[in-house]
Amino acid sequence: MISVRISKGYDLPIQGAPLETLEKADQPLTVALLPEHIPFIRPRLAVKEGDRVAVGDVLFTDKSNPRLQFLSPGGGVVDALRYGPRRVLQEVVIRRDLDDEAEKSLASPLKPEAVDRCSHEDMVARLLEGGVWPFLRSLPYRGIADPESRPPAIIVGLGAREPFQVPASRYLEGRRDLLAMGLRVLKRLCPAVHVFADAGDQAFCQDYQDVITHAVQGSYPADDPGVFLFHVRRSAEENRAWFISGQDLLLVAQMLLTGRFPTERMFAVAGAGAANPRYVVSKLGAPLKYLAGKIHSARPRYTVGGVLTGFAGMPEGHAGLYETSIVALPEPVEADFLTLFRPGIDKPTRSRTFLSALRRRPLPMTTNVNGGRRACIACGYCADVCPVNIWPQMTYKSILAEEVEEALAHGLLDCVECGLCTYVCPSKIELAATLQAAKHAYRKEQA
Amino acid sequence: MKVMRNLFDGLRPKFEEGGPYHKLYAFYESIETIFFGPIERSQGLPHVRDSLDVKRFMALVIVALIPHLCFGIYNAGFQSRLASGLSTDFLSIIWTGGWLVLPMVVVTYVVGFAWEILFAVVRKHEISEGLFVSCMLFPLTLPPGTPLWQVALGISFGIVIGKEVFGGTGRNFLNPALTGRAFLYFAYPVSHSGDQVWTVLSGARDTVVDTFTMATPLSVSASTPAAQTVEETLASVGYSGFKLFGGLYPGSIGGTSTLLCVLGALFLILLGIASYRIILGGVLGVLFTGWLLNMLAGPDAAPFLSLNPFYHLIMGGSAFGIVYMTTDPVSATHMKHVKWVYGFMCGMLTVLIRVFNPAFPEGVGLAILFMNLFNPLLDHIEMQIRMRRRISNV
Repeated sequence: MISVRISKGYDLPIQGAPLETLEKADQPLTVALLPEHIPFIRPRLAVKEGDRVAVGDVLFTDKSNPRLQFLSPGGGVVDALRYGPRRVLQEVVIRRDLDDEAEKSLASPLKPEAVDRCSHEDMVARLLEGGVWPFLRSLPYRGIADPESRPPAIIVGLGAREPFQVPASRYLEGRRDLLAMGLRVLKRLCPAVHVFADAGDQAFCQDYQDVITHAVQGSYPADDPGVFLFHVRRSAEENRAWFISGQDLLLVAQMLLTGRFPTERMFAVAGAGAANPRYVVSKLGAPLKYLAGKIHSARPRYTVGGVLTGFAGMPEGHAGLYETSIVALPEPVEADFLTLFRPGIDKPTRSRTFLSALRRRPLPMTTNVNGGRRACIACGYCADVCPVNIWPQMTYKSILAEEVEEALAHGLLDCVECGLCTYVCPSKIELAATLQAAKHAYRKEQA
Repeated sequence: MKVMRNLFDGLRPKFEEGGPYHKLYAFYESIETIFFGPIERSQGLPHVRDSLDVKRFMALVIVALIPHLCFGIYNAGFQSRLASGLSTDFLSIIWTGGWLVLPMVVVTYVVGFAWEILFAVVRKHEISEGLFVSCMLFPLTLPPGTPLWQVALGISFGIVIGKEVFGGTGRNFLNPALTGRAFLYFAYPVSHSGDQVWTVLSGARDTVVDTFTMATPLSVSASTPAAQTVEETLASVGYSGFKLFGGLYPGSIGGTSTLLCVLGALFLILLGIASYRIILGGVLGVLFTGWLLNMLAGPDAAPFLSLNPFYHLIMGGSAFGIVYMTTDPVSATHMKHVKWVYGFMCGMLTVLIRVFNPAFPEGVGLAILFMNLFNPLLDHIEMQIRMRRRISNV
């Protein structure tokens, strides 16, 4: 086990961590896939409203690569196709037959020993047909990995630093064999497989020392595969590495072992707005309200996938293909009187400008931006936290000046879109979103 | 609180889109957010944001400057009454000093704000809180009794030429307060060059002369006769090292007390607002250059060369400049490590200008402005080095 130290980054002092309780809530009425939040695909629907589908039936494919197919996580009736602005397909909702859910057999089950005998092409075809290929994604743009290409390495992240995620020790409980199977499959695709975990969780690292290749020490986003790669890479060839999250790898293994599309997911339900923060075993694409349970605030924002990098789910919406974290954040209601002159004992901040800096502890956070938008004053806070040593304010300025080459030279593609630069910015500049948009624009230009 | 809320809620529609004063929205927003923390929902990536905003950032610099203002009022009043031969009891000192200093501060704020609002309306940018700091710094660098029209002219030049013509806060490469100060320095050298300082005579309304001037510690140092050491000469005219450190001597309003500068620097560094790299770099630059001149000084050299390097820190405005002027984040270097170079060069140039340029007794302001010009280059160099170290990802 190689140890890696990541010095920059920041752990948000946010209140509302999930309790240690584990709940089973595996009978949601509806489940959904969210094409909008599957990176870079252009969905071509294979079903209409009212169609009957079984678990594992194709709901839609990708227009740019029809081999990428997205399978139904539920058996029943296609209840709704929800479109957003400009006809973006947001949700494909399935109303499940709760008593007897039809399930489709996708392939013959594969024994772990048989994995090594599979040819590379055969393995890729199995994963594509099983609908689990989309769990493999590639850096630096984080889109779905290209089935025709071979990666320099595959990175498996077992950390859970972003608030709030399910720690690997939880979802791996009793599923060690699935993990082993998954890693075997990845090794079939690419000999270089890096498995990294949080060095802070010593018991876990000890327990899984046979599979973990790197123990990473550091604050958020030290759990991100991009950050990991930035710190271990030796050459530019490794930049296009693939990655997969621990929970997704279990689904891949399960699919191959059973020949069916696996739908079980463990979610972290958390946040100051959730009355009962806990871990929940449920279905892939389960409804947010169903997962969240009782809530405190009148209309909280459900951030799906983490409070930094996740998206804001619609109140009646569902979790996506990748997300395993639902955080209910209160929206701000009333302006504080004379905030400017308050010592701020309960104001969360990374800086030392509030009294809360004297005693760092989890504090309640809302979705308030906490300030007016101003010009960049070059305070340098963003560079202090950037885990991949970009100077976000400089890169931001070169993007605004349309100096793409310069932004790239600054390390734009190393950006892991962790959102910390925007979090700390006192001028409230949307640094991360700007960098992310520039990355996406560059990707489009390349394609 | 309720009353305030109702007041703002009543006024807001007038300044919003479609209201009669829509153009002045930036001004309204900057005032409202002093009383009520703003509410704006984040758009995600990330969904939560740090509690710190620019308003608090800048307000804390003002907090650090308030002791300077108070001391400046006391010092101006004290020097004035002392020179006029009036009683020096505390209340009358404050009264006299207040009348000398506060009008300058008020004029600075009114004129500075007027320009900022004008540009905010025309150029459609928000009113940046940096202005509050610039307008506080500017009068503190002036000698008490500066005519108010000069104050108005100076801050106008500082805000307009030093900042707004380049696009406003964040795009200026010169420190606005110092730009205004330098303008007065060159436009009205008789009263601002720093070799002599006005002390306003109180209660002299009937006479023609209402101020009298005296040599500053810096000009005393520069004109020390060859046989004496500077320290002795300074002491002989009443400028002991202790007094210079404390700051109770005639000089600019806010810049005389090195003691307060040290406290202010500690405050700002502790809160993570001012860069300790720049401040320490500046102090090191002053001390190193002072020491270097000590080493170079031959027997026939001017005694100023042999001055104890620490005197450079306690005389004139060097401490004030290094703590408050170099650390303006916008005009300082933006990259981390060249901040040391920038600070060091500011300190070094300050001493060199003081010692070798007979026309300018004080050098800190010009040194900082000069180094401000070099900052884009310094940033570029550090950026190039950083980029070369990266494994490319294109």
